[in-house]
Amino acid sequence: MTHTHTDHDYEQVIGEKLNDAQLRTNLRSAMDTLIHKRKDLLKERYPEWEQLRTMGQNAKLKVLSKLDSFVQQFEENATKNGFVVHYASTARDANEIIYNLAKERGVERILKGKSMASEEIGLNQYMKEKGIVAKETDLGELIIQLIDEHPVHIVVPAIHKNRHQVGKIFQEKLGAPLESEPEKLNGIARKHMRGEFEGFKMGISGVNFAIANEGAIWLVENEGNGRMTTTACDIHVAICGIEKMVESFEDASILNNLLCPSAVGVQITCYQNIITGPRQEGELDGPKEAHIILLDHNRSNILADEKYYRALSCIRCGTCLNHCPVYDKIGGHAYLATYPGPIGVVITPQLFGLDNYAHIANLCSLCGRCGEVCPVKIPLPELIRDLRAEKTHEGRGVVRGYKDTKHSKLEELGMKAFAKIASNGTLWRAVMALSGTFAPLGKLFGHYTPVLQKWLRYREMPKVQGNLHAKIKNLPGVIYE
Amino acid sequence: MKVYFFATCLGGAVFSQTALNCIKLLQREGVEVVFKKDQTCCGQPSYNSGYYDQTRQIVLHNVRLFKEDYPVIVPSGSCVGMMAHDYLELFEGHKEYDEVKNFSLRVYELAEFLDKKLEVHYTDLGAPIKVTWHSNCHALRVSKVIESAKKIISQLSNVELVPLQREEECCGFGGTFAVKEPEISNAMVQEKIHDIESRQVEYILSADAGCLLNISGAMAKMRSKTKSMHFYDFLAQRVGLGA
Ligand code: SF4
Repeated sequence: MTHTHTDHDYEQVIGEKLNDAQLRTNLRSAMDTLIHKRKDLLKERYPEWEQLRTMGQNAKLKVLSKLDSFVQQFEENATKNGFVVHYASTARDANEIIYNLAKERGVERILKGKSMASEEIGLNQYMKEKGIVAKETDLGELIIQLIDEHPVHIVVPAIHKNRHQVGKIFQEKLGAPLESEPEKLNGIARKHMRGEFEGFKMGISGVNFAIANEGAIWLVENEGNGRMTTTACDIHVAICGIEKMVESFEDASILNNLLCPSAVGVQITCYQNIITGPRQEGELDGPKEAHIILLDHNRSNILADEKYYRALSCIRCGTCLNHCPVYDKIGGHAYLATYPGPIGVVITPQLFGLDNYAHIANLCSLCGRCGEVCPVKIPLPELIRDLRAEKTHEGRGVVRGYKDTKHSKLEELGMKAFAKIASNGTLWRAVMALSGTFAPLGKLFGHYTPVLQKWLRYREMPKVQGNLHAKIKNLPGVIYE
Repeated sequence: MKVYFFATCLGGAVFSQTALNCIKLLQREGVEVVFKKDQTCCGQPSYNSGYYDQTRQIVLHNVRLFKEDYPVIVPSGSCVGMMAHDYLELFEGHKEYDEVKNFSLRVYELAEFLDKKLEVHYTDLGAPIKVTWHSNCHALRVSKVIESAKKIISQLSNVELVPLQREEECCGFGGTFAVKEPEISNAMVQEKIHDIESRQVEYILSADAGCLLNISGAMAKMRSKTKSMHFYDFLAQRVGLGA
C-alpha cells in the first residue's frame, strides 16, 4: 500500500496547492474560523484550561506507561459485555478481519461513520477490490467520497471545499438541484443518506475513547450518522487504534472536555455515543453483534521509544493542523499521507516508514504553535526535529526505515563544515571577514549559488553591516578579549 | 555588574550596528560588557536540521567560552530559546549536562534582562510615530520574552504600537526552512507582509534578526513602503543613543 514519496512528488503537489487560489481562500477562512471559535470559547468558559490540559496529559500518559495491561483489561471487560474483540497487528490484518466478517454474513454494502483509522488502513480501497462497497455517511466524508478524494483534514475532511463547490458536487453526483445554502445542502445529504441507511446490515465506526475498566467505547460526533451506523445495523464493527485506551469514564470525560473545544470550538458535540456492547436479551434495538478491532499497525514501535511514545497521546482533535502556518497554506493533501499537519508529520513516518516519507519532516518551520495549542501537550516541534535527526542518523535510530532514508550528502557536508567553523573562533572570524568583504559580489553572483538562489527567489539580498569586531574594539568601555 | 554579550551569528554577519546599539543599551544602565572575540553562533542551523552530534560541538564551544559566572546577554529570543532551553535537551543524559546547565541558566534575552533584571524606565526622546510588531516564534513560545519587549515599548510615550492581526503567526523564516521550502516560506511571508501593510504604520519592528531579514528582504522585493527596523536600533534611537 505504501510507496516512496520523493522530494519531487512533494515539490510538485506543494506548488500545485499553493497556486490554487480557491483552495487557499477556503483554507484561510476555515482555519481562521476554527481558531477564533476555539479562542473565544476558551476565554469565556475555560479559565482552568491549562489545568485541564495537564489532567488530560496525565490521563493519557498513565495509560501509555502500561498500555499492554490496559489493553488486556479492556479486552476482558469488553468481552464480558458481549463485544467480540479482535487484534490486528497490521493494516492488512484489520482489513481481512472486516472483510471476513462481511463475507461470512453475506454483506455486500457497508456503511461507515467517520474513522481516520479506516483511512489509515485503506479500508475503502481494500473492500472495493474485494467487491464490497464501503459508503461514507459523515457529511464531509460523503462529499469527498463523491469526488474520489481523501480527507484533507482529520476532523473536517472536506474543509477545502466551500458551500458553492459542495452544491455543485451534489448536483453532479447526486442529481440534486443546485443549492449553496447550508440547510439546503444538509437536506440533500440527509435525504440521500436516509436512502442508504434503509435495510443496511453492517456499520463501521471509529472510536474516540476505549474505556478499559468498563469495556466500553465512546464515540464523539455531530451529525447522528455515527449513532445510525452503530445502532441501527445488525453488525457493528469499531476500529480502534490501541492508543485510544483510557482507564475510566472520568478520564474519558476529561479528554472529551479537551477534545470538543479544541476540535471545533464547542463545549460538547451534538452526539456522544457510549456503547457498552451489542443488543442484550429483551432489548428492542442495537446491533446483534458488536466487534472491536484493536489496531496496532506499528503503534508498538512508537510506544517503545522514550520520546515518540508521547505522540500516542493524541486525541485527534486537529487543532494542531488548524494552527499550523504550513498546513493552512498547502492543505492536507500536500502531505501525501493519511494524517497531515504537525501530528501527521510526527506519526506518518513511524506508521509507514521514514524511507517512504523522508520529505514530510521538512514541512515545518518549527514555529512551535502546534505544541502550544495541543490539548494533551504533545511536544510536536521537538518530535519533528527528532525526525530530522533520524534522517541524518544523528538521532536515536528508532524510526522504521530510517536506515534506508535518502538524505542530502551536500547538506551533511555543509553542516559538518558549519559545525567545525562555529566551534572555532579564529576560523569563524576569518569566514565572517570574507563574507563581509564579498558582500557586494554575493549580490552579483547570489543567483548562481543554490542556497542563496532559493533565498533570492522571493527576497532581496540584505544590506550587510559587517566589521563587527573592529567596531566593538573601538567602542569605549567594552572588554574585548 | 559584568555581563557577556553574545551578538549571534546574524548580529555578527549582517546586523553589526544593532550589536553596537545593544551594547550601548547595556552600558547606559551601568553594566560592564565583556565581548568574547571567539564567539560564533548558537547552533540553530544544524540543530533544527537534525544534526545533533554536530551541534553538540558548537554548544560545548559556547559553554566553555563564556565560562565566568556572568549573565550572557543575547539580542534574540530565538537564540535564547536555543541556548537556555534546547541546549539542555541536547545534553540530557550526557556527562557534560551539569556544565551545560550552569551556562544555560545564565542566558538572558536583552529585553528580558533590561526589563526583569535592570528594571529600566525609559524616557522617549523621539517624535510621535506609529509602529507595528512581529513576535519571533521562539521568543514567544520557547524563551517567552515578548512580554518584556512590549513592556519596554509601552514606556515609549510617543510610540503608538498597532498590533498585527496575525502577530503570533510564523513569518516563514524558520532558519533553513526558508531555503528548504522556499515556496511555502514565501507564502507565509506574503501573508505576514499583507498584514503589516494593512496596519498603515511607518515601521515594522522585531527583536529577531532572522525574521527581519526575511520580512524586510521580501518587502524590498515587493517595493513595500513600510520600513523595517530591528527593535534594539529603534530603542537606542528613542532613548538618544544615536545611530
Ligand atoms: S497532536 Fe494534539 S493538537 Fe494535534 S490532533 Fe493530536 S491532540 Fe490534537
